[in-house]
Amino acid sequence: MFTTVLFYIIKFLFFILMGTWITIGVSLMYRSRRKRHLNKIEIVFAEITSRYLYPLPGQPFDLVRANRSFRDLGIHPGKPKNVQYLIDLMIRTQRSLLGKNYEKLELLYKQIPPYRVSQKKLLSKKWHIKARGLREIYEMDQKQYIKQVIREINHENIYVRREAQIGMVVFLGWESFRFIPYLKWDMTLWQQIKIVEKLHDLYPIANLKYLRKAYNIEKPYARELIMRIIRKFELVEEIDYIIRYIDSPNFDTRETAIYCISSFQLSEKQLIRLKYKFMNIVNSEQQVQLLKYIDRISPKVDIPFYKLLLYSGNDIIKLCSAEILWGHKCIDEVEEFYYHQYSVQQQPA
Amino acid sequence: MKKALIIQQDVIILKIIEKLMQLNSYDCKAIRSISDLNIEDQTRNFDIIISEILFDGIAPLDFVYQIQEIILHKSLIIVTNMGQERIRHEIMNTNKVSGFFAVPFDLDRIQKLIA
Repeated sequence: MFTTVLFYIIKFLFFILMGTWITIGVSLMYRSRRKRHLNKIEIVFAEITSRYLYPLPGQPFDLVRANRSFRDLGIHPGKPKNVQYLIDLMIRTQRSLLGKNYEKLELLYKQIPPYRVSQKKLLSKKWHIKARGLREIYEMDQKQYIKQVIREINHENIYVRREAQIGMVVFLGWESFRFIPYLKWDMTLWQQIKIVEKLHDLYPIANLKYLRKAYNIEKPYARELIMRIIRKFELVEEIDYIIRYIDSPNFDTRETAIYCISSFQLSEKQLIRLKYKFMNIVNSEQQVQLLKYIDRISPKVDIPFYKLLLYSGNDIIKLCSAEILWGHKCIDEVEEFYYHQYSVQQQPA
Repeated sequence: MKKALIIQQDVIILKIIEKLMQLNSYDCKAIRSISDLNIEDQTRNFDIIISEILFDGIAPLDFVYQIQEIILHKSLIIVTNMGQERIRHEIMNTNKVSGFFAVPFDLDRIQKLIA
């Protein structure tokens, strides 16, 4: 009885083991075939794109032949995975190139499959599909869908509205600043960075007309975004905008202002204004950051300013000021302050 | 005919640069990895090498020095996905490369260098 049960258990386990092996084998075969097929798609796409961008003499680009090659490789609506792979390749290529070729690719993408697949994704109710559709549209610079993109800039899902806002920047460049006052949600740091990078990659020449119009926007994220743009594009003539927010009551705005100003050299007038603003900053760490920056860019050490801080600041600022003075060999001032502390302490005793 | 060697892992970029070079009357050898180089390549004396700097087992800077020693060539252009400023400075400071292009780049600028 026991032997029979054992026999059946072994038989059962043997079948499970066989099943697992067969599944692994089939999976490996499928993966290997799939990989070969995807490589084939990549090579054909590379060949078509390169021939389109740089047609050799006597070998003009043949669009019909290109589309036929894609169809032969299974790029059609019935095989969405193949279509998605081609879209990814198209995006990767568009992201790699700038200038004349970027515009040429935009034209090519309008003529080869998978046209309208990304647009259909915008109709999806799932946020990740919608966001992916938006990204594909702007990465491939398909300007004809701009209306659908604008519609999503205030979407309740952060990823959908993030992609839509980046799409606006890609399509409209500096002009997209017109839409900032109409944004209903805050813009995250990551979102700001992505926008600044896209703007810099695609529209490297600053258009101050639209930027300055945005100066009146009261929203903190808009101010931070503008400051990051001033820094990235090295707009020296716009530094005053950053100085304006050095002592902002909002911590993040202050932080951004200090971060952005630190990549500029200031004029004497701006430096005086910055020192005045320094006194209004409520956070000691930010004060220290700014103090080190002031020291770095000052042509000569401003002894009265540091002495003022030595005698009126908090302990952290006092220490930082003393370090700066000591570093500039103003030993007398530091020693004077050192002995002054004892005289102040002795008085109450 | 002038000779060019292109080393790029990304097959799309590889093909595009290859066509650009052919259009500018270069005889091209386009490969995806440094392991595809053979012994004859060491003596071919290329007019130009357009290469990536990210390869398994070798640091970008070491690669620049090694290719200088191993393969005869007149000029070296870097086209890479690794566009950090630090790397760019380090490589440009070696004075061994004629140009450094990080993704995204404008091929017209490369064309000016190879013309």
